[in-house]
Amino acid sequence: MQRRKFLRVLLGLLGSGAAVSFAYPLLRFLAPPRTAAKQKSLVLSKGEIPAGEAKEIIYNNTPSIVINHPAKGVLAFTRVCTHLGCLVDYDKKAGRLICPCHAGTFDLDGKVMSGPPPKPLPKLPLRVEGDSIILG
Amino acid sequence: MSKGIRDWLEMRIGLDDLVKTNLTGSMVPKNVNLFYTLGFVSLVGYAIQVLSGIVLMIYYIPHPDHAFRSVQDIMSKVPYGWLFRQIHVVGSNLLVIAAFMHMITIFFMGNYKKPREMTWLGGAVMLIFTLAFCLSGYLLPWSQLSYWATTVVTSMPTAFPIVGDFLAHVLRGTEHVSGATLSRFFALHVSILPPLFLLFMAVHFLLVRRIGISSTPFGKSDEESRAWDRYQKKRHTDGYPYYPYFFQKQMFMALVYISVMFAIITFAPTLFLPVEANTPADPLKTPALIRPEWYFLAPYQMLKLIPNKFLGISIQIILVSIFIVWPFLDTHKEKNILKRPVLRGVFIALMCLWVLLMFWGMK
Amino acid sequence: MIRKLILYSCILFAAFAAVVHAGYREDFEREFLTKPWAGEQVEESSCIGCHSFKPTADENVPVQWKMTVHYENNVSCHDCHGGDPKDASMAMSHQRGFIGVPKPADIPDLCGKCHIGILKHFLESGHGKALKASRNGPSCVTCHGSHKKGNYIQKAHIDIINEQLCSQCHSYDRAREMKQALFVVEKKIQEIEGGIDSLRKSGVFVDEEERTLFSTHAEFRALFHSVDVTLVKNNTDLFSQRLIVLEQKMRETFSELQFRRNFSAFLMLLFAGMGIILLLLPKPPKE
Repeated sequence: MQRRKFLRVLLGLLGSGAAVSFAYPLLRFLAPPRTAAKQKSLVLSKGEIPAGEAKEIIYNNTPSIVINHPAKGVLAFTRVCTHLGCLVDYDKKAGRLICPCHAGTFDLDGKVMSGPPPKPLPKLPLRVEGDSIILG
Repeated sequence: MSKGIRDWLEMRIGLDDLVKTNLTGSMVPKNVNLFYTLGFVSLVGYAIQVLSGIVLMIYYIPHPDHAFRSVQDIMSKVPYGWLFRQIHVVGSNLLVIAAFMHMITIFFMGNYKKPREMTWLGGAVMLIFTLAFCLSGYLLPWSQLSYWATTVVTSMPTAFPIVGDFLAHVLRGTEHVSGATLSRFFALHVSILPPLFLLFMAVHFLLVRRIGISSTPFGKSDEESRAWDRYQKKRHTDGYPYYPYFFQKQMFMALVYISVMFAIITFAPTLFLPVEANTPADPLKTPALIRPEWYFLAPYQMLKLIPNKFLGISIQIILVSIFIVWPFLDTHKEKNILKRPVLRGVFIALMCLWVLLMFWGMK
Repeated sequence: MIRKLILYSCILFAAFAAVVHAGYREDFEREFLTKPWAGEQVEESSCIGCHSFKPTADENVPVQWKMTVHYENNVSCHDCHGGDPKDASMAMSHQRGFIGVPKPADIPDLCGKCHIGILKHFLESGHGKALKASRNGPSCVTCHGSHKKGNYIQKAHIDIINEQLCSQCHSYDRAREMKQALFVVEKKIQEIEGGIDSLRKSGVFVDEEERTLFSTHAEFRALFHSVDVTLVKNNTDLFSQRLIVLEQKMRETFSELQFRRNFSAFLMLLFAGMGIILLLLPKPPKE
């Protein structure tokens, strides 16, 4: 009797150990931690970017670019090319974003115009209030 | 307090009587062995698949643009996502092994014979459902491995002369394997096959309980000597109680199954996940070595060997049909396979052939 | 009953007796994989058809092209030389942009069509200026090769800078200095590449890490093409920093893999322990 009881208690312990070892991961799985607060917003003044020019910034830990286009207004993109990760440059004259690694070309809507990039260049949300440009 | 709950239930559903009839009073034959537990092990394996699958469904996205990414996020971003995915992947392979072993031992012990033909029928259909589960689930991660293995398997129906192309089209939903294929395979895997499988499993289990556990044909038993003229459930009055003794055996084997699963997850986590499984599907680039998963390798290799596609597929269908209706083909009274050398020899030869073809297909 | 068994076994063996020859694999794959549903196969460029018929291996350009890094990345003949790859009659038509074998002075522009960042630095460099003046060399092909036998374009690596190559035009001293300046960052990049490979073998999806490494490496290399040792030395710290961040991330991934191994080992022991206990529980009484 002694042995049987001991074994049953041990079994119960291990069983509850196993149950807890699944319950905890399941709970963490269902309620993942909130991601570190993304950079809420970045404010630039319009004066920083003369008409026709662009400014390279870092937003959300990602190199990005804000363009002040005479016709299309203020636009913002991440600079990370969707092909292999190189940083694109803004070509003022052509009004395009070009990647120096394999000549991937994006237009000012982020669409791929030529070259190997498989996806369009992500745009950043922004709004213009008075003299300020607010990203995010 | 537990006594209080027991009394409360006793008043309403007659708990004591239930326990006595089904658990402590239900007897199993004296000579049952570990192989008798394989059905229960398969059940546990299936339950593990269902539970881990439901958990995975919370983060999986069944669209070709997002499927691969969502699976990678489960593996790397979601806390403990890797655990549930590994359980599902390793578990699926172990479940196939358990189901095969269960079928083989039933065959060896002649437990498909009268009065258990229906039980075998249901079991054979469940094996086919299990393979359908594996096929449909394999596509879901949308990796190179998934995409191309599915392409090969879904073009096999084209071997049929008139309806072949139509069949392949129905399987895929489009000309090539595409998002439409993913959608229908997901629906199949998650909402069509599970209830069907559960239905068959319930009937299978009820039949086992109603007809009664058979004693092994090796050694003396009263079963063979009784004349077959009416329904008579097996009582096994000289056996021992299901609970706790046989239940213990079943739980032990289930724990062995689970331990093996975690051993593989610990020591060989990439056993069922080669590099192609971690590369997103590319319809324009066929990888060098496309192969179905190991449980399909023997039929695959056989198809490769038979020069005529149609003949190859027909032979496989004939073999599967023989497998399903076997109890009606083998009506010999002798249940002990040790006394039936021809059957034994042919069956062992077929098994060796299957294993041989599987290893050949691996090259 | 035995008759039925024999009948079925015969069907089986007859089927296998029908098998005699090898070559089944090709037949099978041809049947099942080259139909439309196997996915569109990338069409072979029309250039390859004619240029495969040269007498010696030396001049079999398509075979040599298949040894280059361009082939591995689906960069084909027309991507550099122009022409129409789909229409054999227009494959060498100037109307379709065909430029044939470029003269040495035109080579940077040919390669720079795609490798823009490199071209920019090259033109400003001593090498670029020397090419402009002499109209003969050094061009991209001088160091990186093309598709001539024994000199196939490979993935760029630091040992392209070597005494044999550089001392063709000038003393090796400057090249040695540059190679040393590059060394720190290049070594780190190699280590990280090894780490990424190891992670991939362990089943981790390393797409993001590969991209970050590629982008850092590409930028660093573009810088090198200015052959300005000071520029390289000034930027070494910046690039090293980026690489250190990547290394840190990879270290975290390795320790995560270790944690996973330990956690599942723990679960395995729990269940194995329960199994052992069940073995020790009393068995049914023997008669």
